[in-house]
Amino acid sequence: MHGFGFDAIHDEICVTSPLAQAILSFRGGANGEEPPARVIQGPHTQIKGTAYGANDKVSVDPANNEIYLPIDSGAVLVFDRTANGDVAPKRRLSGPDTQIRGVPSVAVDPVHNVLAVNSGGRMLLFDRTANGNTKPKAVIEGPKSGMANISSFQIYAAKGWIIAGGQGGFVGAWSIEDNGDVPPRWKIPVQQLTGYVASGIALDPAHKEIILSAAGQRVRPSRGIMNTVITFSWPEIY
Amino acid sequence: MKRKVLAAGAVFASALLTWSWVDRARTGARLISIQDVPDQGDACYRPDSAAAVPGSSNQNLFVDFDETVHAQDATPTVDITRPPVRDILDTAPIYSSVGVDVEHNEVFLQDSNTWSIRVFSRLDNAKPGAPPTEPRRVISGPKSDVQFNSCVYIDPASGDVYSVENDIGDTIVIFEHDATGDPEPKNKLKVTHRAFAMALDNENQELFLSVQYPPQVAVYRKGASGDEKPKRLLIGDNTRLSDAHGLAIDTKNKLLFVNNWGNISDYRVPGSGRFEAPSITVFPLNADGDTRPLRVIQGPKTQLDWPGAMSVNPDTGELYVANDMGQSIIVFRGTDAGDVAPARAIKGAKTGISYPTGVFVDAKNKEVWVSNLGNSSATVYPAMANGDVAPLRIIRSADENKTSLRFGKTQALVYDPIREQVLVPN
Repeated sequence: MHGFGFDAIHDEICVTSPLAQAILSFRGGANGEEPPARVIQGPHTQIKGTAYGANDKVSVDPANNEIYLPIDSGAVLVFDRTANGDVAPKRRLSGPDTQIRGVPSVAVDPVHNVLAVNSGGRMLLFDRTANGNTKPKAVIEGPKSGMANISSFQIYAAKGWIIAGGQGGFVGAWSIEDNGDVPPRWKIPVQQLTGYVASGIALDPAHKEIILSAAGQRVRPSRGIMNTVITFSWPEIY
Repeated sequence: MKRKVLAAGAVFASALLTWSWVDRARTGARLISIQDVPDQGDACYRPDSAAAVPGSSNQNLFVDFDETVHAQDATPTVDITRPPVRDILDTAPIYSSVGVDVEHNEVFLQDSNTWSIRVFSRLDNAKPGAPPTEPRRVISGPKSDVQFNSCVYIDPASGDVYSVENDIGDTIVIFEHDATGDPEPKNKLKVTHRAFAMALDNENQELFLSVQYPPQVAVYRKGASGDEKPKRLLIGDNTRLSDAHGLAIDTKNKLLFVNNWGNISDYRVPGSGRFEAPSITVFPLNADGDTRPLRVIQGPKTQLDWPGAMSVNPDTGELYVANDMGQSIIVFRGTDAGDVAPARAIKGAKTGISYPTGVFVDAKNKEVWVSNLGNSSATVYPAMANGDVAPLRIIRSADENKTSLRFGKTQALVYDPIREQVLVPN
């Protein structure tokens, strides 16, 4: 599992069952072998993964009651948050003009109505309700930007900051209004500071912190422990 | 002055909305107040309307209170070089698999937390109050290419150590039985992504490998290396393989056992996914292609719950299953089929079993070994043990009350602001 979501408005966990082409929504306090509250699965869903990554990521937009599922090849399906069973997506963003490749990671800014898609080492920015073969309205990419791929990233919607991974193992903050080869406003050189490369990002605005998951893949941390969760204080972005 | 008032108002409103975000989950949304900043004299800037904000198609409360960010100017990136304030990690090994070299009386434990194989004496026993057991040898390091390995298997003929990587590595590495430190493997075989468990048939010189997805069993020539392809591939809808995990072979009765978690789809077909009950599918040892199983063990009586490794007792033909979420080792008869209860189950507080993912039957010494993901230990029992029995011996790599984080691979996480908890899948 490489990316999932927590819905703090409705107190739910949204996660995929990657090998079964399903989206599961659990009660936020679920424990043990508690079944999901809802399951999206079936032929009408259009859910399709890959042999390698299956369906390994999903994001949720609690403000607009939508679930975003990136699928193979280069598409993002949007479901109603309360969908259950064999339901069709309400939107499908896909096509050559989107520039989306593979199974990207996705995040939504419900304040500024921006959909960000991290694909091919770039950050593609769309209107939140983009549908079909739509061009991104902006693309953050290039050597100055340092933009890289990461399994899951976040948008701090109150300020419009995209918090994502960068080349060389940093985590940076870009603006949802950036376009082109734009460097981040701030960056935390996580790999340099810790020896780990972050693969997942979570935000905690209340405590002005970011929380990162790291799993040692491709980079052997010198301390010899391959799995960790690291918290940084980052008041600047909040 | 006006700018400070607006800034203070924005902070207050932001804090108010943040508090409401959390509280809303409990009591429902409530609008507390809207304070309009007077526009007099040296009034600070505010947008004329929400519609003027780029990207906004709706008027909403956030837009009225928060300043929209603008595209980058010439300000250079600011590096934040403060060290982390906290980290969560387990310093102890997290054991995913166990193999036993009965000729050299050694136990091999696969650790997915420190990327190592730790070798102990078969007779090691950490008594209560004793410090953790010291390994005789540790295989680890970049040359060894041991990563998130899911299975360690000892060749009963040569003592060679086989280990398969379940994620990015996609490789089986093979070491001499006395390998230590950071050795180059004596052989490496590239395998399909998501390979999970192995077994060797020395009579036919074949290496069996289970693959989670697309579910399959690949059978290689023993000694295969590099990009050599499998001799046989058991794959297809008729096999009823579904998220295949543990694998065991019975060379006497010519049987292949594979357990399945039941998550199935054809990645080429949209919306083809489904959930099936966990199962054990039984095939002829030389099964190939899209072959139906001879029989299937499946149903609620089986107690199967995320089954991990399996091992056959060659003396009895019984099949031992590391029943991870069932917190047990369950034993089936080699002829079992359908919805049947296990013949025996090692389960209970005295056993010391905690999220067992590895199992191995040592027929020579009539013992069964278990690697416990949940407490950094391996425990051993009489092969015919049943019920809530204490282990004969314990190999322990942490304090005796250890509760492992069970971090398998911390690739993702979310934050729950309601409970102030971090959720980490493995």
